[in-house]
Amino acid sequence: MHIRPVSPARVAGYALLTVVCALTVVPLLYMGTLSLQTEAETLAADPVLWPESPQFGNYVELFERAPFGNFIVNSLIVAGGITVAHLVFDPLVGYVFAKFRFPLRNTLFVALLATLMIPLFVRMIPLYVMMSNLGWLNSYQALIVPFLMDAFGIFLMRQFIQPIPDDLIQAARIDGASELRIYARVILPQVKPALAVLGLFTFVFQWNEFLWPLVATTTEEMRTIPVGLTLFNQEYFTLWHLTAAGSVILFVPTVLLFLFSQRYFVRGITLSGLK
Amino acid sequence: MSAATTTAPSPSEAPPLRPRGPFRRSLNRRYVITAYLFLLPAFAFFGLMFYLPIGNVIANSFNTGPQADVYAGLENYRRALDDSAVHNSFTVTVVFGAATTIGAIVLGLGLAMVLNQRLRGRVVFRAMLLVPYLTSVAIIGLLWRNILDPQLGILNRVLSDLGLPTQTWLNTHPLATIIAVTLWMNVGYTMVLFLAGLQGIPEEFYEAATVDGAGPWQRFWRITLPLLTPTTLFVSVMAVISGLQAFGQAYIITGGGPADRTDLYIFHVFNVAFTSRDFGYASALSFLLFLVIVLFTVVQLRLGRRGEVQY
Repeated sequence: MHIRPVSPARVAGYALLTVVCALTVVPLLYMGTLSLQTEAETLAADPVLWPESPQFGNYVELFERAPFGNFIVNSLIVAGGITVAHLVFDPLVGYVFAKFRFPLRNTLFVALLATLMIPLFVRMIPLYVMMSNLGWLNSYQALIVPFLMDAFGIFLMRQFIQPIPDDLIQAARIDGASELRIYARVILPQVKPALAVLGLFTFVFQWNEFLWPLVATTTEEMRTIPVGLTLFNQEYFTLWHLTAAGSVILFVPTVLLFLFSQRYFVRGITLSGLK
Repeated sequence: MSAATTTAPSPSEAPPLRPRGPFRRSLNRRYVITAYLFLLPAFAFFGLMFYLPIGNVIANSFNTGPQADVYAGLENYRRALDDSAVHNSFTVTVVFGAATTIGAIVLGLGLAMVLNQRLRGRVVFRAMLLVPYLTSVAIIGLLWRNILDPQLGILNRVLSDLGLPTQTWLNTHPLATIIAVTLWMNVGYTMVLFLAGLQGIPEEFYEAATVDGAGPWQRFWRITLPLLTPTTLFVSVMAVISGLQAFGQAYIITGGGPADRTDLYIFHVFNVAFTSRDFGYASALSFLLFLVIVLFTVVQLRLGRRGEVQY
């Protein structure tokens, strides 16, 4: 073997990655500068890279032009509610399939996994009709209930709960712990990292969800941020500085969650390939 | 299942050293009831929110009328076969799905191979590439509509500063443009999957191949690619499924136009359902795409399994 002081492949690698990352990050940074420009600057034939003086007031004006406060509260309630529901139900169902033996177990598990093949667009029309018949359109129930559980989350939790020794459960039973107590005190603490992955993914994807909130809401007050922002832009399509400010508000929570827990996200994506 | 209900192993079976589960010996009624009780919310949920809706879609696809309550037999399916707007939308969607899938595999694998060279700062590069995937399609759609705008967008300005020809992107190449935006959004995800796959290939394989005189090209075709088959298969199945049901790109960036050239299928179904209020026809259309996706997935998995290798 000969010694390579500087590998050209490495240099090319760095150069390529720098270019690709710039292509990824620069548009998002541009969104940030747009959100600080005046309306005239955003509409200039010569696009402005950095505003003359940053207009932080855009973030205030946004709340005056649209019920943006409602959008934020709605998004928090919907994404937060669905995340809590997943964290409660997915591990419980996963635990039952991992550790209990009962008639029809495999059949039921296959029926559960089969729902992974049923995408949202197939459910969209019947769910809309159902919510409309229940009088639930424009309500939190309509936005939350169709997503209370998720077959992939259940599958994931089952995979993580299976290796927990049965003796642990048996010992707790002998001590007289109730089944629910065993689940909460013996099982859940053993799978905390998996719960973190499940919770983060659920929150980010529900926070970003677009199609269902668009279908299930007709009043402006009930919109989530992605829908509210898009329809705001359709109505005020020249107010790019405000659209950009709204985008930044929608963007910041997910990117902060991601930066502080990158390894959970990467783990979650890798786990999604487990199937 | 009958074996599971016996409470003691039959004498002919050698008793296990240790029961494999707490219920192997004590599958008694109490635990069965507990299990069903714990599963009750899940049965209710998946029944009402998945199985009932898909049943409804199939039932409604044979109905017509504003409430989709007049039986019309196969009328909706016959109509779909003759509907040139549906044909167009289906073609657009297949092109979109194929291009985003192939692009995600080629770019994702390429970037993963560059990142896999133990470069310093790998975690930072990986993080930056992953950010768009975790960003709402609403943000990405609106941002790119602004950047691509022929009057006020910055892309044409940058291109003309670089001495490159400018375009009215969403007019001249609308489909290619939303394909590119979608790749920009998703390539980080496929890259992370490929990176995990690459890290699972033992270094010795490459060393042995190098000793045997294999060049980088041969190592890629003979080692990397075959051993990545499970990852490639998973990535392609996921990309096809998500590509065929893309919606936001059309709704937010192009509005399906110009002249329906980006009329993605789910966007078309959405309009049939919620603009024309034709729930019966929309149900038939969405069920047809569902069948196509199931078919594609089965074929891909069959082909992929056949291509799998083991060393």
